[in-house]
Amino acid sequence: MADIGASAAAVVAPVPASMPKRPGMLKRLVREPVAAIALAIVVLLVLAALLAPWLAPTGPFDNDLSVALSVPGTEGLMLGADGQGRNMITRLLYGLRATLMMGVASVLLGGVTGALVGFTAAFYRRIDGLLMRLMDMLLSFPAILFGLAIAAILGPGISTIILALSVATVPLMARIVRGSAMVVMRQDYIEAARATGMSDARLILRHLAPNCLSPLFVFATLRFGQVILLGSALSFLGLGAQAPMAELGAMASEGRDFLFFAPHIAVIPCLLIFTIVLAFNLLGDALRDALDPRLRV
Amino acid sequence: MKKTLGAAMLALTAAALPASGAFAQAAPRDTLVALRSIDADNYDPHRSTARSNGEVMYMMADTLVSLDWDMKTVRPGLAESWSVSEDGKTYTFRLRRDVTFCNGKKMTAADVAYSISRWVDPATRSPVRWRAGNVKEVRAVDDYTVEYELNEPFGELLYQLTLFFASIIDKENVEALGANFGVQGFNGTGPYCWESWTPRQQLTLRRHPTYTWGPPIYQNPSPQVERVIWRVIPESNTRLAALQSGQGDVTQYIPHIAVAQLQRLPTVQVTTQPNYLWDYFFGFKVDKPVVSDPAIRRAANMAVNREAVTKAAFFTAAQPMNGYINPAALGYNAEASGLLPGHDPEAARKLLDEAGWRAGSDGIRVKDGLRASFTLYGIQDQVNRQIAEAIQADLRRVGIEMKIQLWDATVAWGKLATQEFDSFIMSYPYVSATDGLALYFDGTNRPTPNRMNWNDDATNAALRQARGGLTQEERNTAIGQVQRIVTEANTWIPVAHENLYLAASQRVQGARAHGIYGVALYKGLDIRLTR
Repeated sequence: MADIGASAAAVVAPVPASMPKRPGMLKRLVREPVAAIALAIVVLLVLAALLAPWLAPTGPFDNDLSVALSVPGTEGLMLGADGQGRNMITRLLYGLRATLMMGVASVLLGGVTGALVGFTAAFYRRIDGLLMRLMDMLLSFPAILFGLAIAAILGPGISTIILALSVATVPLMARIVRGSAMVVMRQDYIEAARATGMSDARLILRHLAPNCLSPLFVFATLRFGQVILLGSALSFLGLGAQAPMAELGAMASEGRDFLFFAPHIAVIPCLLIFTIVLAFNLLGDALRDALDPRLRV
Repeated sequence: MKKTLGAAMLALTAAALPASGAFAQAAPRDTLVALRSIDADNYDPHRSTARSNGEVMYMMADTLVSLDWDMKTVRPGLAESWSVSEDGKTYTFRLRRDVTFCNGKKMTAADVAYSISRWVDPATRSPVRWRAGNVKEVRAVDDYTVEYELNEPFGELLYQLTLFFASIIDKENVEALGANFGVQGFNGTGPYCWESWTPRQQLTLRRHPTYTWGPPIYQNPSPQVERVIWRVIPESNTRLAALQSGQGDVTQYIPHIAVAQLQRLPTVQVTTQPNYLWDYFFGFKVDKPVVSDPAIRRAANMAVNREAVTKAAFFTAAQPMNGYINPAALGYNAEASGLLPGHDPEAARKLLDEAGWRAGSDGIRVKDGLRASFTLYGIQDQVNRQIAEAIQADLRRVGIEMKIQLWDATVAWGKLATQEFDSFIMSYPYVSATDGLALYFDGTNRPTPNRMNWNDDATNAALRQARGGLTQEERNTAIGQVQRIVTEANTWIPVAHENLYLAASQRVQGARAHGIYGVALYKGLDIRLTR
């Protein structure tokens, strides 16, 4: 979890609200070639996942046992077929869809919950200690253990993984949001807004939250990569997507049985996971640089 | 090209392994290292039914009678000869006089009487007590004569007595070790003696020096190797690599996909057993919604392409089943097998249409608001998953949905004893048609192992006759009747007869796959090491 701590610390650098919003954030983001490539890959992956039903050459569950384990390059099967004789391209597209969906859902669910906890802790200092100790407790549980525990109760499935990953995301997000919110809370304009008699909810929504958004976005992007990796690991252990649903981690797990004889079944989904995680990590880094006022030249 | 690549990668891993230090060293001299995937929880013949218990038990202990390679002929073991009374209720065994336990004590009729009595004693809680028949009394008439008296005839008895549950054990040893019997030690009459056990790693056996009473199915009546180490390597590819690099000598736990490649490798010898009885089937709980409809079960049987499923799951290492019982088994009924519907998805669709199951909006059929959807439970492993997913795809083609739920082996048996599922996938060893079918279709065996909840008077009556009939012909007719009933009711989707392969390294001679209760080495008396 050391890497998470490091990235979390790095993103706690809220944009002071006194600065005017600079135009062309996206432009500055894509000025870096690496970031531009990462962004392009992310866009491509998302498009591929969204358009899977139209892009896939076959239905998601169509199998033909007679071509099982065909190697890439076989007639009509550019990336080969898996152990059930299903077209790998189709499986990868639908697997990508499930994996990205899993990532988005867990980051959204965990992120929003974590942000709420973070804002509450920063705003109502009396319960700050209690909330943060709760978060510390959650932080000390490995996500894999969460996954196993939740799967034991609810049974394996995509929703189990999403729940486990969300719970694992909550404390991290809460920490980051609390950190940046505490800085913002000390700003004069908050005092001023409070002096006008604004309600707490309005104060949080109108003045506090918008000024904490950039670290939140950067963290969410970086966290997305980690969540995909963790989710794939949980799926690999059989806690995630159940047959015949395709999911990249589960596909890698299925392919493991054929590793010596048809390595493509495990290797290709792993490469895809690698690409997703790398792209999101690079994008997150670039986003952080682009949003960090101290790095402005 | 693909196959060469596979073989090359296997060889590569083998070459890389010693350097990685995954194993201590090559197999030691005069020590046979047998590799397997899983350990047993104990080595008490009455407290564990695991095959992994059996493979060690056959080496550490003996049974009254033994089973020939044809899986049909009963041969002498500790008993030189035996006779059966006219009413079929009393078996008299005459024992060999030269048998001793590992600690040097002579084996007598009292030991036999003790062993069988402990097996059938309800206090022992053996899960397979029924295999001993309805025992009235087992008594020692004199030191070398045993009378085995039953309350009712049991035509299968001699076959059951070849299984390791009927191993002869030493009362003093059992009482001295108490709950640690078969955990801290074991005193048997087998060709090898207990030396040490590190659970989940290895079990070491040493040659029984005075052993000369091996079953006549072997050329040698005595063991040829000084020590045997049963070593656990759970990961199949690692196991294969260990075999090829000489860190292990024999294994029957070969991934199906690797069999064809291994057979081509000059450094590995592979033997097979054509009469191996270990089947994979798919059972329906006949009293659950959807699968209680005979039309659904029949259509499912017609929808599944057994040949393609078998090839996808086992490659060359199994044959598709054409009936509920392997044709090599005693009591197989060819006429009943003819009643099993063949692969015909078109006819399956027609049958479902006629039965009122109409295609719904998502392609899954519906009848009176009930979706043609059911769940499958099973043990989580590669073969079960392959079979289940292939069947799932075949069923979807005719508009039936099957949800797969495979469980880790640690919880699977508990889950499979519940009523929360509609169908299940299972594999099992058996010695005869009656042995297999009585296990699964006897109404009194509900809810497990009769997970179909099949309780049919005609079946129960025929099973009673198959067990108790006085002549083999009478028993065959009765078990044939059972095969007809359950085949017509489509209680299962029979899937595949698994083949048994025993792979041995270059220095091993005389390894031959036997396969009793799924155990390939059996007593392994002819195995010799060249270096």
